[in-house]
Amino acid sequence: MKELALNILDIAENSVKAEATLAKISIEQTDTQIILTFTDNGIGMTEEIRQTVTDPFYTTRTTRKVGMGLPLLKLEAEMTGGSMTVTSKHISEDPINHGTEVCAVFYKNHIDCIPLGDVVETVATLIQGHPDTDFLFTHKTEEKEITLDTRELREVLEGVPLNTYEVIKWIKEFLKEQYIN
Amino acid sequence: MTVNGLLEGGDFKALSLVEGEREISGVYIGDLLSWVMGKAKSGDAWITIMSNVNILAVAALTDCACIILSEGVTLTEEITRTAKAKGINVLTFSGSSYDAAVSLEKLL
Repeated sequence: MKELALNILDIAENSVKAEATLAKISIEQTDTQIILTFTDNGIGMTEEIRQTVTDPFYTTRTTRKVGMGLPLLKLEAEMTGGSMTVTSKHISEDPINHGTEVCAVFYKNHIDCIPLGDVVETVATLIQGHPDTDFLFTHKTEEKEITLDTRELREVLEGVPLNTYEVIKWIKEFLKEQYIN
Repeated sequence: MTVNGLLEGGDFKALSLVEGEREISGVYIGDLLSWVMGKAKSGDAWITIMSNVNILAVAALTDCACIILSEGVTLTEEITRTAKAKGINVLTFSGSSYDAAVSLEKLL
């Protein structure tokens, strides 16, 4: 993909599809790396799926025979000398602590590393499309840490849906302000 | 022109030939797989320098007639086996993507 932000959107959608009530998206930037971590409490993957998850011909969709989200993320990470790992516990293995974690490491000084892109837009799009899922977004750079927790928003909003125009607009402003200051 | 017809000239060499009578109706060039996924059309000969297993999935998704690996790029044995198993035609060409497109322009 042209931007990592689009990968973030794609992978976070997997958490929603896995019926997660909370999807954590973390971006951590060091002087040499960008680390993307996705952690959810969805239904998780069975051993069989874990084995085939980076096979582009495997899919969770029934309408097409390939699912490209994780294979592309893996390829893009490896193209920079980095890597991607997937750990998951299926609901049948552990009825309480189930879910999936995807971690991708990019070396940002590698010439093939794609730019991060518009993260604010990605987060807003996710919340807009899935107002009933909770998202915890954190972006840690060497200078600062940007955070958005929809659980906190929900408490304040007292029943106002998160995909309300004003709420989405506020979320974008809230994130943008954190990036500027 | 079919994939077999393309091979006759000798400039393009088959790495995985499953459906030689597949008609080539167009050409697409690209290495950013997510981009190719949305842009390549059914029946295209897709020219790329990428050679990982994901290209086979992109070819399957877009239903392109064949993948042409330019710059003399080849596939590993394992990926060649997968290409055959998934029914994907893959050819290799020694010149650049531009040279491959120019050759195709003359042949199609």
